[in-house]
Amino acid sequence: MISFDELSVGQELFRSSRVVMQEDVTAYAEASGDQNPLHQDEAVARAAGFPGVVAHGMFTMGTLASALLDRAGDGVMLERLSAQFRSPVFVGETIVSGGSVRSLDPVSRTATLDVWVRVERDGTVEWPIRRGEAQIRFD
Amino acid sequence: MSGSIALEGKRYPALRFAVEADRVDAFAAAVGHRTGGVPPTFVTAPELAAGLSNLLHDPDVGVELAQVLHGGQSYEWRRGIVVGDVITTETTVERVRERGGTRFLTLRSELRDDAGELVALGRSTLIVRTDT
Repeated sequence: MISFDELSVGQELFRSSRVVMQEDVTAYAEASGDQNPLHQDEAVARAAGFPGVVAHGMFTMGTLASALLDRAGDGVMLERLSAQFRSPVFVGETIVSGGSVRSLDPVSRTATLDVWVRVERDGTVEWPIRRGEAQIRFD
Repeated sequence: MSGSIALEGKRYPALRFAVEADRVDAFAAAVGHRTGGVPPTFVTAPELAAGLSNLLHDPDVGVELAQVLHGGQSYEWRRGIVVGDVITTETTVERVRERGGTRFLTLRSELRDDAGELVALGRSTLIVRTDT
């Protein structure tokens, strides 16, 4: 939990990692209603040109939102979140989500954050989310 | 394809979605949501039900789910969702572009509560591979 007055521009607010398990991706498919077989069926994923099952973009974005709110605390409202899904995330990989403060508005007590998700794959860093943006408002 | 331009501005029927505790709990566990309340990205569930589901059943589009990739997403929340909310979502095809066997569709969804108040806005970019 953090208070608005502790924040400064450029500060890294959160960083958190997670292994992407098939059971979580399957649970996400069920709970979100996105039953695209790309996210559950290895044969379908390979036929589409991927080396393995692909996690939902929104699984990744939802994980990012959870990591952000976990750090920011219960008194914080997520007002905006946007991202391009630039690179797939495969089941079994470890994703790291993070974010830093881009700007602060003391009048509305909102912080705009640069947010990202990265994954290390075959010795190189890929960015499933590179320049996402989040806005949070404090009580 | 010739139908692309006609598709822009198309509005799908509004869909009502009850926010139920069991589904919220399953969603929260899947995305690792540990703080209180409903995960903000739970809005994806009503958004998909009203948007992508309609698109897949639209004969003017003729797309199968396995062809669809999610290219990007933005949300704006006006208030937090709570269990017990009944959310009505209306989705519009905002933009259609084609480039080399790939179609880019932007869907815009408005999520409102039973009082008609805007709860959230979602904008979803879908990438449809039409050359496979």
